[in-house]
Amino acid sequence: MKRLKRYIKLYKTYLERAIKSRLEYKKDAIIGIISFLITNVTSFASLMFIVQSIPSLNGWTMYELGFLYGFSMIPRAIDHLLTDSLWYIGYWYVKNGLIDRFLIRPVNSLFQVIAEVFQPEAIGEAIVGVALLVMCGSKISIHWSFANVVLLIVASLFGAAIFTAIKLITCSIAFWTKRSGQLMSTAYNFADFSKYPIKIYHPVIKFIMTFILPFGLVISIPIEVVLRGGYNAVVISIAIIFVASILSLLGYSIWNMGLKRYESSGS
Amino acid sequence: MIEVKNLVKQFKKPIRGEGIKGMVKTLFSTKHEIKTAVDNISFKINEGEIVGYIGSNGAGKSTTIKMMCGILNPTSGAVLINGLEPYKKRRQVAQNIGVVFGQKTQLWWDIQLIESYKVLKEIYEISDEDYKERMDFLDEVLGLSEFLNQPVRTLSLGQRMRADLAASLLHNPKVLFLDEPTIGLDVLVKEKIRAAIKEMNKKYNTTVILTTHDMADIENLCSRIIIIDEGHIIYDGDLLNIKNKFGDLRTVTIELRDSLDSTDCFNTFGGNVTYTLNNLELTVNFDALKVNFEEVMNNVLTHIHMKDMKIKEISIEEVVREIYKKEEMEG
Repeated sequence: MKRLKRYIKLYKTYLERAIKSRLEYKKDAIIGIISFLITNVTSFASLMFIVQSIPSLNGWTMYELGFLYGFSMIPRAIDHLLTDSLWYIGYWYVKNGLIDRFLIRPVNSLFQVIAEVFQPEAIGEAIVGVALLVMCGSKISIHWSFANVVLLIVASLFGAAIFTAIKLITCSIAFWTKRSGQLMSTAYNFADFSKYPIKIYHPVIKFIMTFILPFGLVISIPIEVVLRGGYNAVVISIAIIFVASILSLLGYSIWNMGLKRYESSGS
Repeated sequence: MIEVKNLVKQFKKPIRGEGIKGMVKTLFSTKHEIKTAVDNISFKINEGEIVGYIGSNGAGKSTTIKMMCGILNPTSGAVLINGLEPYKKRRQVAQNIGVVFGQKTQLWWDIQLIESYKVLKEIYEISDEDYKERMDFLDEVLGLSEFLNQPVRTLSLGQRMRADLAASLLHNPKVLFLDEPTIGLDVLVKEKIRAAIKEMNKKYNTTVILTTHDMADIENLCSRIIIIDEGHIIYDGDLLNIKNKFGDLRTVTIELRDSLDSTDCFNTFGGNVTYTLNNLELTVNFDALKVNFEEVMNNVLTHIHMKDMKIKEISIEEVVREIYKKEEMEG
C-alpha cells in the first residue's frame, strides 16, 4: 500500500516532467495533435468511400462501421497516450545501451520507462474516436444495457492494457535480438484488422485476432455484442480482463528475463 | 563494503562474414564466438577508499563497473555491495550508490536542470532539509547555480559533467561509481570535478571507484589503483608503490634551434637517461625516481639552444606496457 502510494506520487512527478518536456517544443506537440487528427480522419474517409460504393459490408451499415471504427481508436489512444516509450525500447534503447540509467535508480525499471513519455498526440486520436462514436451512435440503435456499458468500459481500459502488453512482449524481444521494432510494428498493426467486423475475415485471421493478438476480442466482439447481441456481455468482459492480465504478466516476465540478458553498450 | 569475487563476464557474439554474402550467411548461422570481457577477478574495497580502476580501452573496466552497479548480470562470480548483489537487489542497492558515465547523461534532456534534480529528489525520497543542504554543498563545489535554470540540452560538456556528478551525489550515496568522469573536459573543469569528489569523500566518507585515462586524476584522487588488462587484474596496490616498481617515467621533447651532430655530449648519467635525436627534435627519457630532474635538464640545456619544450608523464597505456615488460623479464 505504501509502495503504491509512492508510485502514484512518483508518477505525478514524472508526468509533470514529461509535460514540461513536451511544452519545451510547443509547436511540435500541436503539429503532432493536428497530424494525428488528419491521419485518422483521412483513413476513416477512405473507409467511407469504400463502404458507400458497396451498400453494406457483411450486413453492417456505414454508421455501424463508423461506430466500430470510432471505438477501435479508444483503447489504442489510451495506450498511445501513456506507454509510447516502449517503441523506443524496441527500436533504439536496447541496441544503444540506453537502459543503463533505468537500472541504477531505486524505482522499478519498467515503471520508469513507461512514466518517462507522455504523448499528447494521442488526444487527437481520442477526439476522432469519440466524435465518430457520438456521430454514428446517434444514427443506429444500440442496446444500452448496464452490462453492455460495463463491457465497453472494460474493453476500453483492458483493451489498452492488451495493446500495451503486446508492445511490451515484442519490445522485450530486443534483449535477445538487439532490435525488435519491426516485430513490434507488425504485431501492433494487426490491430488495424479490428477496425472492421471480425466476421468478414478468413478463419486464420479470426483465430489470431481472438486468441493470439486479441485485438478482435477487445474491439470487434464487444461492438458486435452492443449492436447485434449474440455473445453474453458479462462473459466477454471477464474474458477480456482475464486475457489482459495473462498477457500483461507474460510481458512483464519476458521484460524481466530480458533485463537479465541486457548487454548495455561499450563506452 | 565492496567485495568482488571471481567475477566473470562473457559476451556471445555471432561470427560475422564479410560483405553482403557474409551478412546473409550470418543471418542463418548459429555460430558464436565467446568474448570474455572480465575474467575471474577478485578484490575488496573498504569504506571511504578512493580507488582508481584503470586499464586501456577495452580492458574490461566499464564491464566491471556495470556489474558493480547492477546494470549487467555476471556470467559467474559475484559482486557484493554491503552484502547485497546489485543485479539481484537492484532497488535496494541503487538507493546507496551513485553512478556517472562520462559518455551518457542520466539527466532529462529537455527540461531545466533544476527540474531533473526535483525528479531525483522524489526518486530517492530525499527530505527537504537534506535536499537543501546537499544542493548548497554541490553548488559550492561545482558551481551549479550559473546554469541551474537552463535546459540540459543547452549545457556545455563541462557543465553537463558537473551537473551529472551533482545528480549522482544528491542522495548522498555510500558508494560512487565514476566511469571516465573527466573525459573531454578542460583543465579547469577537471579540477572542479576532482575537488568535488575529494570534498564528498572527506565530508561523507563516500567510497569512490573511478575509471580514467588521465594520470592526473589518479595522482590527485586515488590512494589505491587496480589495473586491469584483457579482463585480468595485473596490479592492485597503492600508487607510490607502482612508481617505485616501474619507475616514474618522464619524456621531455625539445625542439632545437640548431642541429646537433650527436647526443654524446650529454652522457653523464650512466644508462639512466636515454636520448634520441631526430633532425631538430631531441627526445629525453628518464626515470624521475632514479635521476634528479633538475640535473638532467641543466645538463641538457648547457649544451643546446632550444625553441620549445614539452614534458610528458607516463600514461596508463605505458604503465600497462611496463608491467608486461617487467613480467616478461622476471618470468
